[in-house]
Amino acid sequence: MSKQIRNIGVFLAVCYAALFLQVNRLTIFEANELQDNPANTREVERDFSGPRGSMITADGVVVAESVPSNDQYELQRRYPTGPLFAHVTGYFAFELGATGLERTYNDDLAGRTLDLDLQEISDLFVDRERVGDLTLTLRQDVQEAAAAALDGREGSVVAVDPRNGEILALYSNPTYDPNLLATHDFNRAEADSNRLTADPEKPTLARSYQDTFFPGSTFKVVTASAGVERGGVTPDEPDYPVREAYQPVTPSGQPQGRPISNFGGSSCGGTLFPILQASCNSAFAEMGSADVGADGMIDVAQAFGFNQDVPIDLPRPAQSSFDTEVDGTPLEQNPAVLAQMSIGQNRVRATPLQMALVAAAAANGGEIMTPHVVREVRDDQGEVVETAATDDVWTRAMDGGTADLLREAMISVVTDGTADRLDDGLESFVVGGKTGTAQLGTTPPRSHAWIIGFAGPENEPPSVAVAVIVEGQEGASEQTGGRVAAPIAADVMRQALEQPVVPADQEAGDADGQQ
Amino acid sequence: MIGAVRRNAELGLLVLGTMFVVGAYVLTTLPDDSPIPNTTGPFLAIIVGLPLLAHIAVRRFAPQADGMLLPLASLLNGLGYVFVVRIDEARADPDGLAGLQSIWMILGVAAFIATLVVVRDVRVLERYRYTAGLVGIVLLLLPLVPVLGRTINGSKIWVSIGPVNFQPGEFAKLALAVFFAGYLWEKRELLAINRAYGPFSLPDPKHLGPVLLAWGASLVVMVSERDLGSSLLFFTLFLVLIWVATERVSYLAVGVLLFAGGAVFAFNAFGHVQERVDTWFDPWGKDEGYQVVQAAFAMADGGVSGTGLALGSPTKIPVVESDMIFAAIGEELGLLGATAVLIGFLLMIGAGLRIAQQSARGFERLLAVGLTTLLGFQAFIIMAGVVRLLPLTGVTLPFISYGGSSLLANYVLLALLLRISHDTGQRQAERLVAQSVTEVVA
Repeated sequence: MSKQIRNIGVFLAVCYAALFLQVNRLTIFEANELQDNPANTREVERDFSGPRGSMITADGVVVAESVPSNDQYELQRRYPTGPLFAHVTGYFAFELGATGLERTYNDDLAGRTLDLDLQEISDLFVDRERVGDLTLTLRQDVQEAAAAALDGREGSVVAVDPRNGEILALYSNPTYDPNLLATHDFNRAEADSNRLTADPEKPTLARSYQDTFFPGSTFKVVTASAGVERGGVTPDEPDYPVREAYQPVTPSGQPQGRPISNFGGSSCGGTLFPILQASCNSAFAEMGSADVGADGMIDVAQAFGFNQDVPIDLPRPAQSSFDTEVDGTPLEQNPAVLAQMSIGQNRVRATPLQMALVAAAAANGGEIMTPHVVREVRDDQGEVVETAATDDVWTRAMDGGTADLLREAMISVVTDGTADRLDDGLESFVVGGKTGTAQLGTTPPRSHAWIIGFAGPENEPPSVAVAVIVEGQEGASEQTGGRVAAPIAADVMRQALEQPVVPADQEAGDADGQQ
Repeated sequence: MIGAVRRNAELGLLVLGTMFVVGAYVLTTLPDDSPIPNTTGPFLAIIVGLPLLAHIAVRRFAPQADGMLLPLASLLNGLGYVFVVRIDEARADPDGLAGLQSIWMILGVAAFIATLVVVRDVRVLERYRYTAGLVGIVLLLLPLVPVLGRTINGSKIWVSIGPVNFQPGEFAKLALAVFFAGYLWEKRELLAINRAYGPFSLPDPKHLGPVLLAWGASLVVMVSERDLGSSLLFFTLFLVLIWVATERVSYLAVGVLLFAGGAVFAFNAFGHVQERVDTWFDPWGKDEGYQVVQAAFAMADGGVSGTGLALGSPTKIPVVESDMIFAAIGEELGLLGATAVLIGFLLMIGAGLRIAQQSARGFERLLAVGLTTLLGFQAFIIMAGVVRLLPLTGVTLPFISYGGSSLLANYVLLALLLRISHDTGQRQAERLVAQSVTEVVA
């Protein structure tokens, strides 16, 4: 009997040992997997009622914060600037999830990153809220200027510092009020979300970096770069003939497709600077399709960032595209299409962000710095725990020499060309740019009015580059870009070139609004 | 002498355990705005007063009894109570379960004391073994009576008499333990005779009757009451006792085969059994698996040290207050807290089996083994179900889960173990005294 009783003890001990192992599995070995399970809403809900860091612009304006709420969730996420920064901050909602920076920086905001954790251990017994605050590179004044200049028209404005990739403004219209979706009245949030999703204008889509458009003539900057690097183009030659249209030809000399004509049946031609100033379609069509060719155009477009994922710290950026095939045949067999692509039509599409980076490449000696909207993460004591790199090159678009040449050419477009309104109010600065009018092929004719450009003090590298698109303008004249988009870009660059009001570190630290 | 040492140790352990429970209660209730919740007074009375009362009763009525069981039980009970309070709070339900649970605890300790007072000698129970058997079977089948039985959470294990709901199964298991221990001790020699069938040696078929009866009863419970856990528990109890009584492994083998056969039959014949097993293998994305999936998420959130008391979200797990309470402990106290609970039960199992080993009388030994198996194996079945080591079956976690029937039954079980322990200690003490008297006389 004793033996049996002892064996029962052994049996039960084995049972409990198995239990112990299984508890270990759940709490330790499989814990991460379980927490990442899509059905597991605990983390979201915990974050939802937990303290959460603020987002503060470079000029010290709070654009996202958590304030006490008088309900079971204790804290309500609030976006004091409403729609202005919606496409950057995104929203943080209970059932709808998170978008924008609320999503990409969720761990920092909730205080779950390693840097914030490490401090947590040393501060175990101090009652403080261990969350990360984001300091943005964006400036409220520049963003405001962008919104004001766009004045309710559909379009996007992107301003970036070409020297370090810091984005100063990232605005697109239509936008939405993230407060509507972050409300704790979940039924209302869902109704608003459904309304926004059903809206054909897609207000929640950040057109500035999540949507692509025909870049039109602004793409000629890329074509020009390809011409210089791969097509033997110099300031002096070739001298493209003055004509109304260019007929694309195959390498064997056979004509292909329709001729590429200039705006309004006008004639133009000449060397690099004059054709860029006049935005001469016939010349750039020939340069891209005949002098450079498909391989060169593809290589250079990709060097500028087309067909690549832009490494921005925002979720789901759209990829700008420069197709390498046309319906299954390689681009080199389609010079007619390539000619259209060389002037930014047909199978080339770009985000406004990408086009701002094209201008930035010319302004920054050919290098495109990694674009980012978060400058640093600070803990609740105002200590910096994470800093974005400012010397990180995303892609080298072209040689320094080419970039210098293009910069001069773009400056001449402002002084002597279609972008003459780009330096309104910027007379004391050096300003360069390129207009664009992307035809939509509609009747009556409609087009996107574009401008890209840069500006900076004399004898210094330009400190701001912009891209502006105003969508669906009536008409299709090349003047549209210069008339409609250039004043917006000028306003934004003027604001960006004013010394920002940089808040003291202490203020940034105190502004987290958690108390 | 031994008794005094045991009682003082018991008191010391009770104080330690009570301090822990009071600390846990404070952590659970204080972080909110009110400085001292107005339930604190009654709580202290229950958490400090009840163990003390039980301790005094043991001093008075079973002074020679083991000193570890009561402190362990009151620690686990206190921990469970704190979690019931905590779950009430999470549900923002001021008239929740905690008030009722404290009444069950008072009744439980009352039943504990009453058992110690009434059952002065366990051999009394041996005499009523057949009565106990009858009572056990009646209790077991009571939920099937049309007017009385009630189905709660898919299990037909409840009986309603007027406003009172209770689970007769919890008491049936005690009655059956008494019956099995008495019957098997009486018939052990007959049952131990084997007959050779070729290479196999099996017990005489006519003595296999009780095994088959137990098997059939467990199948009835499993199928008609949808109570897989209890049927597994009854069958294990019977198997363990027949094996200990006869010392014949063949019974174990036959029993395991019978159970396996029954399980296969039930799996093939009954949809709900099949569903349970399917859910066990793959709970993800199924409605039936929601409970164990949430339990796993809770445990994963807990990690090594837990989220901390009152800082998790245990109410996401359905029925967290009774069947799933182990997951709440895992979430808020982590691996450490869950392991502490495991160790608590293991120590109780160890103490119970030691009582069985030390007892010199067969019936008492068997009863102690049976009661210990009931306690330890029931705890195992439900905890294993929660962590998906076994299919989830709805039984309570002894002393920890919310629930009156379970608490009352387990306090009675505890009292019986202590009574057996005291009897053994008493006889040893008498023998020692007799010896020393003899020596003095000599």
